[in-house]
Amino acid sequence: MKIPFVNPGLQYKGLREEILSRFDRISLTGNYVLGNEVEEFERNFADFCGTAFAIGVGNGSDALTFSLLGLGVKPGDEVITAPNSFVASAWTIANIGAKPVFVDVCEDFNLNPRLIQEAITPKTKAIMPVHLTGRVADMEMINKIAEDYNLLVIEDAAQAVGASYKSKKSGSFGDAGCFSLHPLKNLHVHGDGGIITTNNEDLYNRALKMRNHGLKNRNECEFWGWNSRLDEIQASIANLKLSYLDKWNDRFLELANYYIKELSNHIEVPSIKEFEKPVFHRFIIQHNNRDDLKFFLEEKGVMTAVNYPIPLHLHEASSHYGYKIGDFPMAEKQANKILSLPIYPELENSQAKYVVECVKEFLKV
Amino acid sequence: MKEISHNFLLKQYKLTNELPINHNYLPQQFQDSEEVIDEIRKLVVRGDFTLGSAVNEFEAEFKKISNTRYAIGVGSGTDALFLSLKALGIKEGDEVITTPYTFYATIGAIVTAGAIPKFVDIGSDYNIDPDLIEEAITSNTKAIVPVHWSGLICDMDSIRDIADRHNLSIVEDACHAINAKRNDKTAGSIGDTACFSMHPLKNLNVWGDGGIIVTNNKELHDKLVLLRNHGLRGRDICDVFAYNSRLDTLQAIVGNHYIKKIDHITDMRIKNAHFYDKELSDISQIEIPSRSPEVKQVFHLYCIRVSERDDLQKYLINNGIDAKVHYPIPMHLQPAAKDFGYSQGDFPHTEKLCKEVLSLPVHEFITEEQMNFTVQKIKEFYS
Repeated sequence: MKIPFVNPGLQYKGLREEILSRFDRISLTGNYVLGNEVEEFERNFADFCGTAFAIGVGNGSDALTFSLLGLGVKPGDEVITAPNSFVASAWTIANIGAKPVFVDVCEDFNLNPRLIQEAITPKTKAIMPVHLTGRVADMEMINKIAEDYNLLVIEDAAQAVGASYKSKKSGSFGDAGCFSLHPLKNLHVHGDGGIITTNNEDLYNRALKMRNHGLKNRNECEFWGWNSRLDEIQASIANLKLSYLDKWNDRFLELANYYIKELSNHIEVPSIKEFEKPVFHRFIIQHNNRDDLKFFLEEKGVMTAVNYPIPLHLHEASSHYGYKIGDFPMAEKQANKILSLPIYPELENSQAKYVVECVKEFLKV
Repeated sequence: MKEISHNFLLKQYKLTNELPINHNYLPQQFQDSEEVIDEIRKLVVRGDFTLGSAVNEFEAEFKKISNTRYAIGVGSGTDALFLSLKALGIKEGDEVITTPYTFYATIGAIVTAGAIPKFVDIGSDYNIDPDLIEEAITSNTKAIVPVHWSGLICDMDSIRDIADRHNLSIVEDACHAINAKRNDKTAGSIGDTACFSMHPLKNLNVWGDGGIIVTNNKELHDKLVLLRNHGLRGRDICDVFAYNSRLDTLQAIVGNHYIKKIDHITDMRIKNAHFYDKELSDISQIEIPSRSPEVKQVFHLYCIRVSERDDLQKYLINNGIDAKVHYPIPMHLQPAAKDFGYSQGDFPHTEKLCKEVLSLPVHEFITEEQMNFTVQKIKEFYS
């Protein structure tokens, strides 16, 4: 049996007619940039997350950049974040001239709130928790610390669309929530796309201009800005897919629960807390012989991935910050052990069963 | 979500898209789109949405029409400028010379790259005046961004000469100038890079935002490939802090389709512009820029100077003609420019042009009948 790690084409097959008819409709209007579809998606997405506003942008990285700058993070400021994320989280901080300050993570791959306080300096301006693998970080404690120290909170929710924590959705805890609609995300478009959620009307108004050259109207530029817009065509696809998202996320969770039930006695799997509803963008198991396991599964036709093998503080690009091996033991330990199994709504029960069988075969259980 | 309609573009679409003689040709273009849709069907099943095979194909075709060694697809024309400046090492506090008669993106890219724009007035061709560049150069100047306004390539030989004397980089803002030439040289053949936009209303367009950079410099190419994709050398190795700015595969498919037609599109625009040139030349209230034989101007916009501009524009709109002003307020007088310390009168040629300039629809779907009607209405207005 061949089981690809991801397979966005399968989702498309089910929605083909609906997507093509939207495509046709949007294309015929001739409005391809910032039209009705973007506005509708923003409204729907804000409602979905439970925030007052949402702003569609070109991608998840730009969502972070605009949130940081729009909320007033400046060159020289420090922003606390996790060292085990995709490079975009920390790099957006660095790109605006601020410094990413890493704090180690917990067993659940998310920022460890108990370690945040000791990383705070007079220069600290914000905390950027990353809801890795589709599980919301401990936002109660993070928000409490942010309040105590008067820090901004910018959620990197790129992997966690629809995930909730104590019945609140990701993207609704911080000053801003940043989402990616990249093709591998639970809610995705057919190219790059991103969206910011916020209850802050100033950020909302500023981000609307930031994404569109700083324009107040066609002829007046309030500040020099960027071009980072969610295409109309992509917004239309996002609107359609948003109506299926809960169903898909339930399936992610169902598959995750199946993997947990079948594997938890034999290998390290995530443990779901009673007050959270994860969306398992990634389902990660951990094993000391990760590379052997990965190779074994590949031989069996089960494709897996490592998200991510090199923690951010050990990349060439961050060498000048002076971090070294041993600084974040949990993240480093996980980087050597983690393996992401195939998980997507279209994955069939028989395929998930095969994945489990193969893992068990490797473990000789 | 609170009900605030924030989007001035929506209002704008509503106002102008209904005009029968329009700048927007997309509905007509889309009538003949089955071939593109077929390719998109295949893409979605294949699944290579980001930096997929169609992007490579588009880059290969684009460098052919640009006659350059490399082409790098990015998210937009703005990002093409921004990433070029970053790849050239432009940093905080550097000065970049450009024209105040341009679209906001030119300045946005310079400022977001950390640099300070230094404006130089335009000449009679609406482009930066090379004779005025040298007096704007200081010890902080690092680059020149000439803008090939409306598809007319600037006097690049003179600009290259100045840049070489002062050791400056050149990033050509060629967002209007796909397929344009000057002395048989394309945009990108003289600058360190040239930056193009494939925004839906450009001569070569896609169905959303898209851009592309061309260069002959391998080192710049290698840097730009990293900069557009998070600095990733492989999936897991990251060399530099970088950005996410990729041409969507879906949009590259659209680009691949229309790039085959670019010579036809260009010829039609030039033909339409010459028609206007001829028909409008005897109206004394209109000044058509002088056309030079060594230049292949591709007329992304057909811009002329007119007297009583605002009234003429209203008159034409009332008659169903989408006459536009690109743009009424020069960059140095924008609210965003207040910290740069410029004032009214600093760039008299630009300021005068902004009061007089008017654009008429010139795209490949405009018919001779529509152009005749437009000319007739202009004559009527002045009679």
